[in-house]
Amino acid sequence: MKYPESFDVIVVGGGHAGVEAALASARSGASTLLLTHNIETIGQMSCNPAIGGIGKGHLVKEIDALGGVMARAADRAGIHFRMLNRRKGPAVRATRAQADRVLYKAAIRGFVENEPNLKLFQQAVDDLLMDGDRVAGVRTQMGLEFAANAVVLTVGTFLDGLIHIGESQHRGGRAGDPPAIALAQRLREMPFRVSRLKTGTPPRIDARSIDFSMLETQPGDEPRPVFSLRGSHDDHPRQMVCHITHTNVQTHELIMEGLDRSPMYSGVIEGVGPRYCPSIEDKIVRFAGKESHQIFIEPEGLTSNEVYPNGISTSLPFDVQYAFVRSIKGFENAFITRPGYAIEYDFFDPRDLRNTLETRFVPGLFFAGQINGTTGYEEAAAQGLLAGINAALQVQGKESWSPARDEAYIGVMVDDLITQGTLEPYRMFTSRAEHRLLLREDNADLRLTETGRRLGLVGDEQWALFNAKREAVEQELSRLHDTWLHPARLSDAELAALPGAEPTREYRLEELLRRPDMTYDALMSVAAAGPPVTDPVVAEQVEIQVKYSGYIARQREEIAKLQGQEKTALPDTIDYADVVGLSHEVRQKLTEHRPETIGQASRIPGVTPAALSLLMVHLKKIASRKQKKSA
Amino acid sequence: MNAPADTIAAVATPRGRGGVGIVRVSGPLVESIAKAMLGTCPAPRYASYQRFLDAAGEPLDEGIALFFPGPHSFTGEDVLELQGHGGPVLMDMLLSRCLELGARPAHPGEFSERAFLNDKLDLTQAEAIADLIDSGSEQAARSALRSLQGDFSRVIDSILDDLVGLRMYVEAALDFPEEEIDFLADGESLSRLDALLDQLQEVFRKAAQGTLLREGLHLVIAGQPNAGKSSLLNQLAGREAAIVTDIAGTTRDVLKEQIQLDGMPVHVIDTAGLRNSEDPVEREGIRRAWAEIERADLVLLLIDDETGFVAADQQILDQLPARLPVIRVYNKIDRTGHEPGVTDDTVYLSAKSGIGIDALRAKLEAAVGYEAGTEGLFTARRRHLRALEETLQALQRARRQLVDYQAGELMAEELRQAQAQLGQITGRFTSDDLLGEIFSSFCIGK
Ligand SMILES: Cc1cc2nc3c(=O)[nH]c(=O)nc-3n(C[C@H](O)[C@H](O)[C@H](O)COP(=O)(O)OP(=O)(O)OC[C@H]3O[C@@H](n4cnc5c(N)ncnc54)[C@H](O)[C@@H]3O)c2cc1C
Ligand SMILES: Nc1nc2c(ncn2[C@@H]2O[C@H](COP(=O)(O)OP(=O)(O)OP(=O)(O)O)[C@@H](O)[C@H]2O)c(=O)[nH]1
Ligand SMILES: [Mg+2]
Repeated sequence: MKYPESFDVIVVGGGHAGVEAALASARSGASTLLLTHNIETIGQMSCNPAIGGIGKGHLVKEIDALGGVMARAADRAGIHFRMLNRRKGPAVRATRAQADRVLYKAAIRGFVENEPNLKLFQQAVDDLLMDGDRVAGVRTQMGLEFAANAVVLTVGTFLDGLIHIGESQHRGGRAGDPPAIALAQRLREMPFRVSRLKTGTPPRIDARSIDFSMLETQPGDEPRPVFSLRGSHDDHPRQMVCHITHTNVQTHELIMEGLDRSPMYSGVIEGVGPRYCPSIEDKIVRFAGKESHQIFIEPEGLTSNEVYPNGISTSLPFDVQYAFVRSIKGFENAFITRPGYAIEYDFFDPRDLRNTLETRFVPGLFFAGQINGTTGYEEAAAQGLLAGINAALQVQGKESWSPARDEAYIGVMVDDLITQGTLEPYRMFTSRAEHRLLLREDNADLRLTETGRRLGLVGDEQWALFNAKREAVEQELSRLHDTWLHPARLSDAELAALPGAEPTREYRLEELLRRPDMTYDALMSVAAAGPPVTDPVVAEQVEIQVKYSGYIARQREEIAKLQGQEKTALPDTIDYADVVGLSHEVRQKLTEHRPETIGQASRIPGVTPAALSLLMVHLKKIASRKQKKSA
Repeated sequence: MNAPADTIAAVATPRGRGGVGIVRVSGPLVESIAKAMLGTCPAPRYASYQRFLDAAGEPLDEGIALFFPGPHSFTGEDVLELQGHGGPVLMDMLLSRCLELGARPAHPGEFSERAFLNDKLDLTQAEAIADLIDSGSEQAARSALRSLQGDFSRVIDSILDDLVGLRMYVEAALDFPEEEIDFLADGESLSRLDALLDQLQEVFRKAAQGTLLREGLHLVIAGQPNAGKSSLLNQLAGREAAIVTDIAGTTRDVLKEQIQLDGMPVHVIDTAGLRNSEDPVEREGIRRAWAEIERADLVLLLIDDETGFVAADQQILDQLPARLPVIRVYNKIDRTGHEPGVTDDTVYLSAKSGIGIDALRAKLEAAVGYEAGTEGLFTARRRHLRALEETLQALQRARRQLVDYQAGELMAEELRQAQAQLGQITGRFTSDDLLGEIFSSFCIGK
């Protein structure tokens, strides 16, 4: 049957990408349908119960600034918060939280159900409906047809998903969920470049069978960070501690003995796994010299006895898992509640996408999340948001939006994906961002909220909070700039307490704060420098901006120089064979990657500055010819 | 289309015109560069005689300055032209001053490229510009390669590898704080950085002295044994640098003499006579001769005029690299009675008596002048020195960030800049896969 109502946008998949996609689309005014296998698993964390981390926390804050829900759900579900790299510079500081799975899913479900423009429907999608080249909707397993102007696919690890535990295999989307086989077949018939990736997860253990008394504890950090601008400590549930243990020589021996029955090493698994998230068998083979590996024992939730032993992801046979787990300190009597496994799945070469995550071959069809070759909830959610908003913008006839590399980690990720493609599951790291000093967690809101507001993603409450913060920061910055402090106005005690060399002449407060050892609080301990701002978030922001100002200015200059390249579009119709002077190799690369701008072309390995010049000359030539014709 | 936001500079002296040289600058910094080098910005489009000043305000040279404000200029941007007296060496100093003031060396064909992009050239010239960029970048690559011979390029490559290695440690510390390693705190990063700084300072010192960076043109004298190659070297050098005998196969090793032509240093290289030989020493000499020819800018093919151009000479000619300009020199005209003289690609002279040497010298001077629109050797050298200097400064700032402020992320930023600068020398721009290096070196990940 044809479903009588039609939608602007259909989002397929209720994972992290799907949720943000559906919410962004709906919030910006498009009537949206979220179609997923199972409404109960919306917002489910397939693997470790944690949100954030280096690079990932940055993404979560950006999603928050753009009106997304991941940060708010993490605040409501977080049972153990940390600020990683707290002692290193602000640009690399990142928030991470262990999340209670149940609370997380419940929070997400709440957001999804309370979104007026969004409807949910439970069914597997088997097919796409087409109208010529363009996507026109989807068909479900039972033959139900839903019409829509745009479709966002966020089907995660489910496409032709194959689960491995030792020598046994079965089809599945993740443990306990069915795979998407019909849809995978249908997509393989289309012109997309498809390959396989692999990821894995550790066995889970019943906490009651672990001897924690022998293990190092890891409490959350104080002061405890908060994810969302709209969040607070009041959102946080009761906090728990994590523990740390280690593998040992005996563990490694047991694993080596079972290696011949590992699907990774017997060649059964063809998909490529992430190098930064290796299975324990991988770590032991590749770094044979290391006698011990760290394991973080993370609680799965307040109401669950299960723990997640982070660091021993494996697809070894269950008997080997059982034995090696029990060789680890504290796990001597461990009861495994779920075996570890690896999963292989289809993903699409992201070089076939535009920077809006619309596919190049099928107008109106967007891909987001794990199917684009990424891994991680945050990476998926960020892409979902971008795809969702662009699907909605397209349907509404509005101009698309995609952040630049210097604006957001989302921009870095999408640009990396579409210009370089990926050979292994792509995870965000701060070292991927050349403008890392500009892209901080602390200024994600300042970078993106205004855009979010313009796109209709940011509600009144968030907007008001944001403006209050922004104004307070600006006011304090100009106060520090305009206020001069003469050393004569400082008491001897104040002078003595001030860090660094004693000021010998009158300085702007800003100049004093820029001194290496100075902090905002230290400066404000001088009565004549006050009154200080009371909100620590504002004070922190002011301090960072002042301290980083030299580097920020330099990065901005660098960016300004490249603006021309980033803004110069390379038309879809360009035939690189016509560009005079390009070498054969460069021609081939450009034809394969089809960059959308000169800037993107510049990041394709092997494309030289001379080649870019040749492209610029070629573009100008085309443009002048056109002008002549029309004149 | 947006005009590029940076300012470019290059020496633009017409080929073979010794005596006058032009440094051309284009872009937004032109006015400030003019003010710094001339004291004031000259009136638009009005030739004025000026002193060109160095950083200390001392005159480097004097000559004519011309200022063309955009858009009414060749490139459509603000353009400054400084016409000096100096030969290439002075031109190089003027260029280097412009670079100090914020310009960067222009890529080959870049002035024309900007002119075209700013509607200053018409469509029919597009192909010509593409050719210029294409062939120019090839030439630049070649002159960079020449300037990067041997030790220098090996040293730079190894420093670059060490720098990537250091970055790997720093980035690992920043991106993987939960691992059991902290290379920022444990001194590993600092000791690596210090080792790098030492190496780089050494290289910079040598490069600035010119002992590592080759400068000047490489002129190789090649030909059959006894053609008179060593005699010609002695004649050009003005001293008995090489042994001359009437035994064929006298010269075994490569011999270099530096001479000045039009103020430009030129290395004249004498080589073993080229023939089939069974003698292992001579064979090695011949192998070295070919190696020099590979790196030459220009070859003088010496022919014994008494025998004339024979099949053996043709064989040598055929084996010379196709790109290489060759001048055929017929020697021993004191014996044959040929008139001394010069045509497009031949010279008649006597190396022994010196007849015709002046004509050869004049011909060489014409050949070593800057070639308009392409990157000369000096520009390449200048670029490299500049890049080394900036690398060094970035590394010093990196050290301060690490030691004084424990600011790993700022140290990392300086290292990134350093790598970008150093990479310009060898053309290894691509972001070496840092993450890949991290994952293959450390056991990382949960
Ligand atoms: C075993 C395993 C281990 C992992 N390990 C890690 C790790 O160590 N670190 C890490 O960062 N990430 C890990 N991940 C990845 C992380 O779970 C994903 O990156 C993230 O969940 C991807 O989000 P997504 O929205 O793209 O897809 P998913 O979260 O997979 O969601 C897909 C959604 O689509 C629905 N769906 C699929 N097909 C259809 C269909 N045909 N019709 C309707 N609905 C459909 C599904 O029901 C599901 O709701 C792991 C995942 C798995 C399965
Ligand atoms: N008359 C005359 N004799 C010359 C002239 N040039 C070189 N000779 C003689 O030719 C002989 C060989 O000269 P070299 O300069 O040693 O020749 P070469 O090419 O270096 O020879 P190899 O090193 O053996 O390859 C010597 O006896 C020279 O004196 C010339 O112009 N006139
Ligand atoms: Mg000789």
